[in-house]
Amino acid sequence: MKKFWALFFWFWPLVALYVCLIAPSRGWWFPSEPLSTLGHQIDGLFYLILIIVTVTFVGTQAALGYALWKGATKGSSQKAWFSHGSHKLEIIWTIVPAFVLVFISLTQLDVLADIRVLSKFPDSVQNSPVAEVMARQFEWRIRYPKPGTKLMNEPQPGDLYFVNEVHVPAAVPTMINLRTQDVQHAFFAPRLRVKQDAVPGLIIPVWFEIEKAGEYELLCAELCGWGHYKMKARIIADSQKGVDEYLTRLELEQNEDGVADAEASAE
Amino acid sequence: MENSKAFSLKNLGLGCLLTAAVSGCSEFDSSFAYSAKTESLIAEAQDGTDAAPGVKPTLDSRFGNPQQLKAWLKLPVEWGGASARVEAVASTDTEIRIRFTPEEGKSLPTEAGSVQFITGEGAGQTVAITKWDAQTGEAVLASLPEKSPASGDLCAIDGGAALQSGRVLYMRHCSHCHGTAGDGKGPTAEYLNPKPRDYRHGVFKFTSTNDQSKVSREDLLRVLKYGIPGTYMPSFLLMKDEELHAIVEYVRFLAMRGEYERKLVNELASDYSEKSVSDRLKDEKRSDIVQELNEFLKDEFPATADSLGDELGEVWTAADTEDAKIIPSVPRVPDSPESRRRGRALYLSSTLNCADCHGIDGAGNGPQTLAFEKNPVSGELYKEAGLHDEWDNLNQPRNLQRGIFRGGRRPIDLFCRIHAGIKGSRMPSFKNTPHEDIWHIVNYLLSLQFESEPGAIAAAPAAAAEAAPAAAGD
Ligand SMILES: [Cu+2]
Repeated sequence: MKKFWALFFWFWPLVALYVCLIAPSRGWWFPSEPLSTLGHQIDGLFYLILIIVTVTFVGTQAALGYALWKGATKGSSQKAWFSHGSHKLEIIWTIVPAFVLVFISLTQLDVLADIRVLSKFPDSVQNSPVAEVMARQFEWRIRYPKPGTKLMNEPQPGDLYFVNEVHVPAAVPTMINLRTQDVQHAFFAPRLRVKQDAVPGLIIPVWFEIEKAGEYELLCAELCGWGHYKMKARIIADSQKGVDEYLTRLELEQNEDGVADAEASAE
Repeated sequence: MENSKAFSLKNLGLGCLLTAAVSGCSEFDSSFAYSAKTESLIAEAQDGTDAAPGVKPTLDSRFGNPQQLKAWLKLPVEWGGASARVEAVASTDTEIRIRFTPEEGKSLPTEAGSVQFITGEGAGQTVAITKWDAQTGEAVLASLPEKSPASGDLCAIDGGAALQSGRVLYMRHCSHCHGTAGDGKGPTAEYLNPKPRDYRHGVFKFTSTNDQSKVSREDLLRVLKYGIPGTYMPSFLLMKDEELHAIVEYVRFLAMRGEYERKLVNELASDYSEKSVSDRLKDEKRSDIVQELNEFLKDEFPATADSLGDELGEVWTAADTEDAKIIPSVPRVPDSPESRRRGRALYLSSTLNCADCHGIDGAGNGPQTLAFEKNPVSGELYKEAGLHDEWDNLNQPRNLQRGIFRGGRRPIDLFCRIHAGIKGSRMPSFKNTPHEDIWHIVNYLLSLQFESEPGAIAAAPAAAAEAAPAAAGD
């Protein structure tokens, strides 16, 4: 029975190792391939940490199993050795994890800066957000600048409004300004690997480069109230021409005076 | 839509009812709550007497309950299902086969679960279909109908399917605020301000229809798609079109049910509410009152209940016609400082007197917001100062400086708000104002948000200012 426990604790790291090895090819970790440029870097970090965690888990479990096995096969006459208070051991298991953590924090610095630090954003998006995404309970309200003008923090005459659908150009870096009207929300596009909290009072620039035109899910990832689950929207990535055409349509629609429409349907 | 119209027109005379059989059983039993006014009637008026049904049975027989919805074909609701006629009936001892032909211009569905017979001997029966061949239109019925259908009978295949799917979606997405019966009393409602709409008045605030008209399907669809900014009504843009349409029909169904209930109760409330009966007891005997009620329910009430249904059908049908839609007689007057100034002058003028409620600067703080109003129904003063809507909620005039327009920010939206007013609220209709003047006001309202100080109208609107140098360069 004593040996059973050693085998038991050796068994699980094998399972974990197997799962870690096959998971990426089965798509178990992520909803899809990363579909934005930053997504590849984020997935890279994820896998780096996964490897470290797997090695640590397998290593510690193997050591645990070894200790149990040794105890099980040892004669009952031998005395136990108590390690409590061993300075050498304390130092080892403090320094090794500290080293690992410092390693992780240094490696991710560049990626973090690329995502969060405005001055590291691609030049083309610096100070030129294409839209303001305003989270509110429980929807996403989008404000585009009037075509041909720049987006201002305060609403301007001619700004275009929509809800739960944001059109951005594909294959080029794009920046939006993220805000919230009430409580904290989070802008989460799983397939793009973009996740950023919207904080009351702050205007937070968020950039991404969607590799392919298409429709991407946008969710709220911060439990923001009873209607949190309703905060689902879509990001539509299109060619620049497609986005411009969309905005022209939106502008026409927003200036609708009900007369042209009636004439068209009467014809 | 035409489909249901065809039904209702053909069957107005029959006053026929279709039972939309709810397939399977739902997670829990729910019911349509009756209005407080219904509950204020004496028991005999609510439930009816031996001789005739009262308000509740009349209502239930026409609208059913959430598990067992009824389609009252007087009402212009898209019940769903395909209308077809029985072509041939072949029955053996073990099974009955019917071949259906679709109504002209219609087609048979690819799948079918049940059939409802609308005319002929078997009218009113619903029978499950076990085998369905869409090509030939041949169906094997699960059981023998009590009265055998004959060729030429009109029936609905999967009748009520659209309404049921609307109910399922409504219960999932809407009922937690708007309530099972559409009374605006769902469990989340008490946390919200403004309160969710109580549909049972049959009144919706933001419509593109004339002041006297009901809401159109298109209006409800817009609200579902784009939400109501400044309120808790979110956007349901990501739902499929057919899902949104199904919800719209179900909301209309609930609104008609509620409105019908109100109308029925009004027929009885003045004489047979608990309160008036207790007043009458001073010089009348209770048994006499009940006897009188009995006769009323037997002789007059059924006809009244029918004609109220006809009226309801008419006004709700009319809301979707071109006649109901507000179409400005002139296109929008181009935005200019001159137009905005005229708009402001009209806004302040004594004829329109917008400032009385919305305030001189449009901040929604006019003198009316400080006045104590009388409840038009009970005649008592409201507890809080300010304007109240039909639902007795405090409903202060919009602060127009914030750029949040609940009914939409397109010029036509604002035009409709002024032309038809906001139904159920104290915002009146200004339909007699010349359309050009309304456009001036719209231009002023849209610019209010950007004024540097109240009443200061910029020399030129930003757009015009940009365009000017370009034009000069040409
Ligand atoms: Cu949220």
